Amino acid sequence: MSLHNRISVFRAERGISRRQLAEAVGVNNQTIGYLERGDYKPSLELALKIARHFGVAVEMLFSFDRFEPIAMTLKRAGEGE
Amino acid sequence: MKSSHRSILSRLDDTVRWTGIPARVADDMSDAPSIDRKHRPLRWIPIWPIAFSCALFILFLTWPSALDLVRPGGVIAVTGGLMASIMGMVPGIHMYGPLGKPSFEDDEREAALRKDSFLFCFGLLACLNCLGQPILLILSHWQNWQIAQSVSVAISALMLNATLFGSLPTLYASWNLRQLPKE
Repeated sequence: MSLHNRISVFRAERGISRRQLAEAVGVNNQTIGYLERGDYKPSLELALKIARHFGVAVEMLFSFDRFEPIAMTLKRAGEGE
Repeated sequence: MKSSHRSILSRLDDTVRWTGIPARVADDMSDAPSIDRKHRPLRWIPIWPIAFSCALFILFLTWPSALDLVRPGGVIAVTGGLMASIMGMVPGIHMYGPLGKPSFEDDEREAALRKDSFLFCFGLLACLNCLGQPILLILSHWQNWQIAQSVSVAISALMLNATLFGSLPTLYASWNLRQLPKE
């Protein structure tokens, strides 16, 4: 089962580099790259560390279902206003 | 000191430094965290020692008359030289490949990659040896091998095992790692 994540979206939003995130969670910065691309599934410990670093619940970052594109979320939010 | 007055030893030191190996060794030996450590995929280089060892093994297995064409001293010198150069390549390949030196600084992905690569290598080596040993034993009796051929096949099989053990995990890990785009 594939595991989707939004690490790159959160990283871009917070202006954090791969290296800074890697230092914060104690892994090699290549590991963050492979995680973002979906080439590596993190352990529960690493997933929780990343979620804690961004201050969000782990479900906000990782999901078995594909995440909705940001454009769609914004469109829906705009329609709701 | 002018470069023209420098000794041969200092020039040799410069040449060694130019290769980047001392810096890499110093980096590997340091206690610095592994945040910046790059895993360079080596997708083609490990194939060379494996191919050499396979070729040597097949040569000794299928063409024993080759041993009679050259003098015994020549066989020992050529085979020994080939083995030494191939076996010298293997640790270098392992160290500079994506697996590198096992370290306490390894993160979970590096540890998982190392585990998968060695599991694949040990599994393949176990299968090859389980199948190969009875086949070689039957062949030796069936074809009435002389002692020289038995010894050369045994030595080349040992070398093939050692080369596969040294190079196959790196090869497996290299093909499992895709190049990451630059940030």
